[in-house]
Amino acid sequence: MIGSVIGDIVIMTTPILLAGLGGLYTQLGGKLNIGLEGLILLGAFFSGVCGHLTGNLFLGILAGVGVSALFSLIMILLSDLLKANIFVVGLANNLFCAGFCLWMGELLMGSRGTLYFTQIPALARYGLGFHWIDFIGFAVAGFSWVILFRTRFGIHLRSVGIDSRTAQSVGISPWIVRIKAYGICGILCGLAGAALSLPIQSFVGGMSGGRGWIALVGVVLSRGNPVGVWGISLIFGASSYLSAALQASTDFSPKLLLTLPFALTLIVGLLISRAPAQEDAQ
Amino acid sequence: MKPFAKHLLTSAMGNPTINSLLVGLGAGMVLISITSQEPIHAFTSFFGGPFSSPFFIGNWLSLSIPYILTGLAASVSFSVSSFNLGLEGQVYVGAFIGSWVGLQWGGQHEWLGIVLALVAAFLCGGLIAFLSSWWKRTRGFSEMISSFMVGYILILVIDHFLEGPMRDPVSGLISTRFVTEGFRFSRIFPPSDLHSGLWISLGTAVTLFFLLRFTSGGYALRMVGKNRTFARYGGISVQRVLFWGMILSGGMASLAGVVDVFGVHGRMIRGFSAGYGWNGIAIALIARTHPIGVIPSALLFAWLDIGAQYASMMSDITPEIARMIQGIIFYGITAQSLFRWFQFRKREGEA
Repeated sequence: MIGSVIGDIVIMTTPILLAGLGGLYTQLGGKLNIGLEGLILLGAFFSGVCGHLTGNLFLGILAGVGVSALFSLIMILLSDLLKANIFVVGLANNLFCAGFCLWMGELLMGSRGTLYFTQIPALARYGLGFHWIDFIGFAVAGFSWVILFRTRFGIHLRSVGIDSRTAQSVGISPWIVRIKAYGICGILCGLAGAALSLPIQSFVGGMSGGRGWIALVGVVLSRGNPVGVWGISLIFGASSYLSAALQASTDFSPKLLLTLPFALTLIVGLLISRAPAQEDAQ
Repeated sequence: MKPFAKHLLTSAMGNPTINSLLVGLGAGMVLISITSQEPIHAFTSFFGGPFSSPFFIGNWLSLSIPYILTGLAASVSFSVSSFNLGLEGQVYVGAFIGSWVGLQWGGQHEWLGIVLALVAAFLCGGLIAFLSSWWKRTRGFSEMISSFMVGYILILVIDHFLEGPMRDPVSGLISTRFVTEGFRFSRIFPPSDLHSGLWISLGTAVTLFFLLRFTSGGYALRMVGKNRTFARYGGISVQRVLFWGMILSGGMASLAGVVDVFGVHGRMIRGFSAGYGWNGIAIALIARTHPIGVIPSALLFAWLDIGAQYASMMSDITPEIARMIQGIIFYGITAQSLFRWFQFRKREGEA
């Protein structure tokens, strides 16, 4: 019983955790990616659809990760090369991907509603009910700490985020570093999407359901530490589980219960964020 | 080529806005020709659809009414360089408050009720946007994220009321009861949806233009947006201006909701405003946050929507085409033009 509760909470945490870690790389590089929501959707859609069409789970995940990384790279190129505002590009990404997935769904699967991926095997569950993709989530969180704080790339990334001109003057190319960060972000968001659609073997428009934004809350509150991202995703995962359990067991309004994870994350966010220095112009 | 024509062409090609519009429309044509069995027919119905009959012209103008208001809302928040991403939720709250006032009001002096509904919606929307600004000030919590989350939560809470306590049991749609006839804005152009809320949105745009341009408050607003440090040294209370910017922004987004309810639907329908808020942001950016410029760019977005609606009825393309074209325009709207970029590279290479 307890084991399956933990398993379910972890399953709900993984997509946010992966997307949040992806966002963390971009935040540390100085240009926060707010298009996570759209990237998750792309990952969920393409990993499922390509897996279904080819009958091979890994080809599917590869496609999901690839398309998501491609869009992420387009975003940073627009921003770095053509000086577009990165926030606006992120919003555009969220909007475009929502329409794009519906359109591709009709084109590839001939359906506008829920897509069922019957040709791919169900993900196996291990231990307390984890999928292997959940282990990846944990592993990535650990690796990210090492990468960010113990490798050359991590130091370069953080220095570009703090002051890109200074970094440039000592021979670090902010462009290359940011492109790498956005590539990683795309890959992780693609995986987050796969972790969303593959366990239930289906896709429905808008299934990312605000997870990209929750991940952003995690990024903003983490103060640059992957462990912080993990904490916020866990709060969201646990409250999502609570909300789902209450929806199943009580007749309290399901819509109001759906707000629970969001309200809780918002409140936690407000509580642990620091007040800025009291200066009129921040 | 004549020098003038050449100059016109170069400046048009170098203009980032025109560039991104052209790229968006071009990509739309490619998408249509990939998916459609009869691309020519699909093209003409998509791009010409809104002009095909007075009915569609009216609906096109009618759809631009909320777009103008959300565009203004976004442009005010950008003018003070803060991001209000809760527009979607604020539109929804405004519509809900407005229809609630409409339903509670008796049968007399409806004009007073309308005024009250507009004011109440404006204040509620403003208050919600103000919260995010306040949290940014006191807690340092990004207003971008908090405004989105508050909007998201409020949409779910309102949906709860629409599905439960306030639902009209006889209606097939999930919606409230109709407000009384006196609350409905008069139709200007029957049988289309065009209603007298048009004057409200145009009036708001003009008023905002004069406020920003010719009053000291508007000057403070523009200064804070351009350079906060300079504004502070000039003796402007930056925080107060930021608060007012957010309140105006949220209030106008809510007006969009209430105007759409009284003008088009006559009741609050679940999910009626899909995309008003997000498109408002793109509209404001196309207009470079100029209040009067918002009007043509709102017309452009409404045209794309109505065109896609018409084309999906008349030919074999999906209504998502509009969403995707809008998305592509949105990607490029703040980007430098490719043409300029090539020129720049060439000059760098020569030097």
